[in-house]
Amino acid sequence: MKIVAKKKLWKYLFWLGPFLITVGLTVGLVSEQWGLIPLVFLIGGIVISGLGLIWQSYQSNWWNRRSTQAGTNALVATLAILAILGLINFLGTRYHLRADLTEAQLFTLAPQSRELVRVLPQPVKVWVFDINQNPQDRELLENYQRQSSKFKYEYIDPQARPGLAEKFGVKDYGEVYLESGDKRQLVQTVNQNERLSEIRLTSRLQQLTNSTTAKVYLLQGHGERQLSPGKDAISQAVQGLGDKNFTTSPLNLGETSKVPQDAAVVILAGPKRGLFEGEVKALQEYLNRGGNLLLMIDPNTDPKLNSLLQEWGVRLDNRLAVDVSGESVVGLGPAAPLVTEYGKHPITKDFGNGNSFYPIARPLEITSVPGVQATPLLRTKPYPSSWAESDLQSEKLEFNADKDLKGPLTLGVALTRKQTPKSASTPQAAPTPSPLPSPTTQSKTSPTASPSPKTPQALPLPSPTIQSKASPTASPSPKTPQALPLPSPTTQSKASPTPPASPPAPAPTPSSQTATESRLVVLGNSDFATDGLFQQQLNGDVFLNSVTWLSQQDEQPLSIRPKEPKNRRITLTTTQGNLLILSSLLLLPLIGFAIAVIIWWKRR
Amino acid sequence: MGIVLSNIIAIYRRELQSYFVSPLAYAIAGIFWFIAGLFFVMILLGPDGILVGVAAIDAQGQQLGVPVPPIDVPYEFIRAFLDRMGWLLLFILPILSMGLYAEERKRGTLELLATSPITNWAVAVGKLLGVVTFFITMVLPMLVLEAIAISGSNPPMTPSIPLLGHFGLILLAAAILSVGMFISSLTDSTILSAVFTFAVILLLLLIDLIAKIVPGPVGEALSYLSLLKHYNTFIQGIFDTSALILFASYIFFGIFLTAQSIDALRFQRQ
Repeated sequence: MKIVAKKKLWKYLFWLGPFLITVGLTVGLVSEQWGLIPLVFLIGGIVISGLGLIWQSYQSNWWNRRSTQAGTNALVATLAILAILGLINFLGTRYHLRADLTEAQLFTLAPQSRELVRVLPQPVKVWVFDINQNPQDRELLENYQRQSSKFKYEYIDPQARPGLAEKFGVKDYGEVYLESGDKRQLVQTVNQNERLSEIRLTSRLQQLTNSTTAKVYLLQGHGERQLSPGKDAISQAVQGLGDKNFTTSPLNLGETSKVPQDAAVVILAGPKRGLFEGEVKALQEYLNRGGNLLLMIDPNTDPKLNSLLQEWGVRLDNRLAVDVSGESVVGLGPAAPLVTEYGKHPITKDFGNGNSFYPIARPLEITSVPGVQATPLLRTKPYPSSWAESDLQSEKLEFNADKDLKGPLTLGVALTRKQTPKSASTPQAAPTPSPLPSPTTQSKTSPTASPSPKTPQALPLPSPTIQSKASPTASPSPKTPQALPLPSPTTQSKASPTPPASPPAPAPTPSSQTATESRLVVLGNSDFATDGLFQQQLNGDVFLNSVTWLSQQDEQPLSIRPKEPKNRRITLTTTQGNLLILSSLLLLPLIGFAIAVIIWWKRR
Repeated sequence: MGIVLSNIIAIYRRELQSYFVSPLAYAIAGIFWFIAGLFFVMILLGPDGILVGVAAIDAQGQQLGVPVPPIDVPYEFIRAFLDRMGWLLLFILPILSMGLYAEERKRGTLELLATSPITNWAVAVGKLLGVVTFFITMVLPMLVLEAIAISGSNPPMTPSIPLLGHFGLILLAAAILSVGMFISSLTDSTILSAVFTFAVILLLLLIDLIAKIVPGPVGEALSYLSLLKHYNTFIQGIFDTSALILFASYIFFGIFLTAQSIDALRFQRQ
């Protein structure tokens, strides 16, 4: 009797095993130190449990039972089957067949993307800095990955790996970067509304793997900032462009008389003397064929660009922008306005309210011109802190209401113009060529209007009333009735002194045109980009972002058609809708329950 | 081979008969139809439904004169509906599979089956076929309702995507039922079997989430096990053999384990 009791007690001792293991784990986890004490507990617990198991199995003669043998057999068989299934599945992922049954082939890469990825010369990796892995995006990335083993992608939580995020310059969740070798490029920012786009990814991929780089020309010959290091040169800015994959070269329009075809951006940085009329014409012609121009013009100079700027609705103010607030804070003189307020624009979108400053700057005056979209980029502080000073001789800086202009002043502006027939944006464009052969009028009013074959309607009846409404002053002879509400001929002739050989294409709707556009950035200062100042604050970013935006690299070079689902609607009649609601919510469940009740009733 | 086949068919018929005379099965079907119908109506016709939403977008586009981005309404509807159905399976299928073996155990008929000349394999395959067939009968009325809805689409839609989606749904159900059948063979309590199946299936559906935390090839392998992930490729309209292989593996492994566990039972009782 006593022996039995002892034996039973002995049996319960094995409960110490799990107990000790738990204690060991708790101690270790709580103290987060796996020193001697938790280890002793753990090892002791494991040993006791093991002994207990062995003793138990001997006690019950477990090993000699047939079920144990069968169990072992089953275990081995199960493991074998698992291994086989694993292998089959592994092979299944390697060699698989995929058929995209969607009508628009939504989940198949465009042939251009496939080809590009298949012949990748070097490994590329897509880094997505986001916590949420959108299945759609993953699907797309996996599609890329299937084409080539050189394509990799990885999701990174920027907070978990701040070092990596900093290396890429990640500013926000959802940024997608492409890395190849030591080159990194932002593809896009994905968020709830904007998913990863194949078009952007492929075009970035192409940019990154192709060594073709955008060409930037810097205009020379009028005392512009030097490109090689020196006093007041912009060599650092040029260097910065090189780092961004631009190739830069000087351009003297006096020699070539035409902007080269391969110019992605033309920069005019701080000219001291005016441009020749022919040069201005060349620039205008360049802009008209979809060119991109960056003008950085200091005060007290006249680059003679008024005619060009007027087309875009920009006027260079001759006063000097002063900012008395920065004096005490940053140690800048009052003539170096500190800008902390930026326009909503791709160039400045990441700036927040960071600082940039512009020593000796001139404000710009912007008037709206139809067809041109202008976004002020840089704005100085409001009036008491900043204004445009006209009197530079006097010792004391003070605001004179009669001569000076109150802040905030615009120091920089970005403009775009859709690349419709050039005339569309300029006032004289609107009038469609008149079919009526009245030589006098034509020559007087619109020199450009060439006899175009496309006459709207041949209006034989010149109606004097409408006409006089349209242009009361200058056109004495019949013109097309629908011709242009707006412009008076006098301004026209002023606005465009150059009668360019305009293509006589009438512009019916702007949308029918190809979507290329010309871009222009005007800054009332060039000092900010000179060596030494370039690296300070956001100055360099203002310059580099402007050039990047101007180069229109955000447009896709590859003509991949976006994958669009088929446009389809369901139209249900009210009866159909009601029928669906009734049958799904009432009829079907009722049938199920009714049969259940009937059977149950019968069985009872 | 012929004998095995006829055995399977015999078991299959017995199973089917037991479903179609069981009040519980009809009650489950009723619940399933009600919830699925609720999803159906909410997604399609409800106040937040796809028809109302798209109509609002269209109206807005017309007002502002902006072209509306193309929307494939029937496709989106089928996808959303099948996605919800995938989740609904999680709750319905454990109830269907719980009785497969546990009931036999409780009644004591399992010994008969285990010691009968019919191989355990054939029994398991027959039972699985039976319950999958019952599930298909449950889904068919929903397919008819969907067909009515899609018939109103303009321009008309080819039936390939809804059919592929439902094929995926049935494969998913078969995989889940196969696992549930194995769990049911382990215990004589139907409740326990249902609860365990629910837990295991939830894990298998959500394993993708766990896999995201685990880096490297282990994470990839884990995410590959996810049932939901492969189901999603089907309902998106992609036919992928690797998904097919994975579902087949689940089904096969479930049957294999069931046969093993009944085998073990035979020895235990001896």
